[in-house]
Amino acid sequence: MLRSFLFAFIALLGLASEVQAHAMLDRAEPRVGNTVATAPREVTLWFTQKLEAAFSSITVTNAAGERVDSGKTRVSGSQMSVTIRAGGPGTYRVNWRVLSVDTHTTEGNFTFQVGQ
Amino acid sequence: MNWAWADSDALLIVIRTIHFAATAVTAGALIFRAVVADPAARHAGWTSASRAPSARRVASIGLAIAVPSGVVWVLLVTMRMSGLSLRDALSADGLGTVIGETQFGQASAVRLLCALTLAVCLVFDRIALLRWGALVAALGLVAGLAWTGHAGSTPDPLGEVHLAADILHLGAASAWIGGLFLLAGLLVTGRRQPAPAWSAYQLDVIRRFSILGMVSVATLMLSGLVSSWLLVGSWRGLVVTDYGLLLSVKLVLFAVMLAFAVINRLWWTPRLASAAQGQAGLTAARRLTRNTMIELALGLMVFAIVGALGIQHPAIHLAQ
Repeated sequence: MLRSFLFAFIALLGLASEVQAHAMLDRAEPRVGNTVATAPREVTLWFTQKLEAAFSSITVTNAAGERVDSGKTRVSGSQMSVTIRAGGPGTYRVNWRVLSVDTHTTEGNFTFQVGQ
Repeated sequence: MNWAWADSDALLIVIRTIHFAATAVTAGALIFRAVVADPAARHAGWTSASRAPSARRVASIGLAIAVPSGVVWVLLVTMRMSGLSLRDALSADGLGTVIGETQFGQASAVRLLCALTLAVCLVFDRIALLRWGALVAALGLVAGLAWTGHAGSTPDPLGEVHLAADILHLGAASAWIGGLFLLAGLLVTGRRQPAPAWSAYQLDVIRRFSILGMVSVATLMLSGLVSSWLLVGSWRGLVVTDYGLLLSVKLVLFAVMLAFAVINRLWWTPRLASAAQGQAGLTAARRLTRNTMIELALGLMVFAIVGALGIQHPAIHLAQ
């Protein structure tokens, strides 16, 4: 019985080790997938956990695939933002990579539309 | 060279488990000495609990395991954060950035200072002031863990509440598990100390530890409730996520530990008190020893769960 219990216990920990923890995007401005009339001056993301500035960043590209962000991501608590260059209509892609304070790294991306 | 092993969750869980358990035993041994063993020794008219298993020795061994496992933990996390190789992780870009610019790194640096202070205090343990210094440093070492995990990343306005709950949880768990370690040693030693004076001392220690245990359990339950509310948030989160599943196993183990503690307190301790000498006393002492060992083994399993929980995403964000 003790052997079965230990086996189940180790199997459970094995299950746990298959899943990597990650911070999650809570919301964004401009909102994920939404359309805005004019290009925003900055993109701001909110996460479910506090972030580490040293390992967290946002890049934004326009419809042509060119980077339009300033390259200087600002982090405050669980919020992260970057200034973007004024651009024309089209689809913009936001790529983000964050390290939460509890040391978990994750990344993701989403798009928003301008003037379409 | 392939550094994939640094990304292994299993390796991280093992290192975290070793580090958490060693840290808790270190702090718990010194808590036990301060509030159980030394007062009982003074009550018995001894100058110190020198005849009891040495809290200093247990704390020293715990610290000798906690420091290297803590260093490996920081290195593993640095490699995972930065994506650098081991050699590059040791550079200013790797370790320097993590220690200088992340909460995990800064908390780890402060904890290393606590560990060094504790080592010095343990070397000069005969000085009364440094005995208290050792306790404070050990509490700092264990409390610092709160800033390295989920509790340290909860956004305001509940961030401080979560940190406070986690610090209390860590302290109470340390007091219980470290105390069990020394209590088991005391009960084993007791078999070779048949003198009546020793029996009275042993009984006093068990009774004092019972009080410490009850305070620890109450603190664990209350602080655990607060943390669960912040990290799980619902019954659904407890049953549909890996985090919730692991937490459920932890709660079951905790309940079994508690059952053994209650049996010891309500059944075997009174029997040891009424028949300290002779066969009945011997049987009670043996059962107390066995149950204490089982409690200890279950407690170490709980630390393995804690090692795994820390790398899981909190259930509250997944079950909504």
